[in-house]
Amino acid sequence: MGEAREKEFWLLRVDRRWVYLAVAIALAGPLIFRWAMPPAKIGTAEQFFEVAEKIEGGDGKLVLIAMDWGPGTQAENKPQTEMLIRHLMHRRVKFGVISCYVLAEPFLLNLPKNVAADLNEQYEGTGKTWEYGRDWVNLGYRPGWTIMVQGLAKSEDLHDYFKTDANGTDIGEIECMKNVKTIKDMPALGEFTGLVGAVQVWLQFFNRQEHRPTYLHGCTSISIPEAFIYLDSEQIAALQEGVAGAAYYGQLMTEKYVEKGLGKEPEKASSAAVAMTSLSVAHFVIIFFIAIGNFGVLWPRIRRRLGGGTAS
Amino acid sequence: MDGWLRAEIIAGGIATIAIYSFLWKENPFYRFFEHLFIGMGVGIGIVVTVRNFMWPKGIKPILCGAGLMEPGPRESYGAAYVLYLIPLMMGFLYYAIYSKRYRWMARIVIGFSLGMGGGLAFKGFFSEYLPQIIKSFKPLVVWQAGGGLDWMESFNNVVLFFTLTCVMSYFFFSFDHELPVIKQASASGRWLMMVSFGAFFGATVMARMALLVERLQFLIEDWAPAALPWLAHSGGGGG
Repeated sequence: MGEAREKEFWLLRVDRRWVYLAVAIALAGPLIFRWAMPPAKIGTAEQFFEVAEKIEGGDGKLVLIAMDWGPGTQAENKPQTEMLIRHLMHRRVKFGVISCYVLAEPFLLNLPKNVAADLNEQYEGTGKTWEYGRDWVNLGYRPGWTIMVQGLAKSEDLHDYFKTDANGTDIGEIECMKNVKTIKDMPALGEFTGLVGAVQVWLQFFNRQEHRPTYLHGCTSISIPEAFIYLDSEQIAALQEGVAGAAYYGQLMTEKYVEKGLGKEPEKASSAAVAMTSLSVAHFVIIFFIAIGNFGVLWPRIRRRLGGGTAS
Repeated sequence: MDGWLRAEIIAGGIATIAIYSFLWKENPFYRFFEHLFIGMGVGIGIVVTVRNFMWPKGIKPILCGAGLMEPGPRESYGAAYVLYLIPLMMGFLYYAIYSKRYRWMARIVIGFSLGMGGGLAFKGFFSEYLPQIIKSFKPLVVWQAGGGLDWMESFNNVVLFFTLTCVMSYFFFSFDHELPVIKQASASGRWLMMVSFGAFFGATVMARMALLVERLQFLIEDWAPAALPWLAHSGGGGG
């Protein structure tokens, strides 16, 4: 066995850890040197932005954001969710965050809070403020998946269904929930997940015969091909594709809401661009390794055919 | 930086490095943090489920309904809430599976769960797949509003039709695949599926890289300045 390996072409004997190291360096380089390229135009992100622009807001309306993700997929789902939250906050559309995934709990609390703090800082002195209860509500982690979602859709009194928010405050006392009674008061659902089957549960059960909310979905890169089925069949109105979709959506947000002098440019936009640049460099490295890996397999055969004997 | 926050960041960085140390080789450092993550995940799950669901939606209404506890200022629970004990006790029947003598009791509640799951799956199937089936019936020739042929849309629909029929023919096992038409169609179906798996694999690579970028961003921008302040002061660390 060892002797057979020794006769292999040297490219086939390269320790896999060198490949890991090369990928790590390719990813870390742009992060260390803050090298950022503008994100590529993504049609679905544009569509997502346009759909989010048209969501009906106002008193008695609440957009539901299902954050069915945790630390495992926060790299992609967190910026996606953050962009929608930022967008809704800019547009003064009230929203509630909820999750069927237990590890999402800290993000349900912190993500909207951090975006609000960021906006409050940006718009300091303009009289514009964002605060919990008035602009958003944390409905917390709700176990039960299908049962929970179906119960939520069928409930005739969401105050009785939820009873309290994640902090234990009575739902009736929360300003943005005061006139929200049933699913019919929820014009849209933003569902962000990296879990298998999560978006399907919401698509299947979060609707009624007389009301079907506009579905916006953010998925991890791994499930993009599957998510396109729902977009193509118009079961979802808009899709954010992985971190790339979030980066371009962020750029559209900046163009619409920041560059017009409505506020200072958020520092985080450049972080997303740096991360995307890192990914692009790493993809080049991976393509390079795929090419030389294939070369490593094919070259000894080519040499044998040409009569060059064994390769070493 | 707040002391607790700094400790949190440093611990997070050590945990990240420990998990990635598996890439070098299997080691006790990795194994310890892997078990720690699983244990913490389960622990958080139990605490949050009891706090957010079991207590406010199950135990508290029963206690208030039975008059053993005072409800909150805007809450009201009638005596009927004591009936919640019935589904609660039924749920507990699941644990009878551990007893040889009472195992039959667990079958009752498993039967209920299976029936409920079947019913929900039935509804779920129709609300998820029917729209997809309906949308797969597309015209092969699409005309623009002005009257001209929409070449791109027509081409897309032809590709969809071809792919759909070829892939479906691959999975038809009720007739002979040696028939030339079926053989060619199912072979094309296999190739088209390979293309689709390639797209899936590419997406998988991108997803894994995105997760790694987030961790590297954390290590470079948050962890390094917190754990190695001398490095950040000397201009390294990037953040």
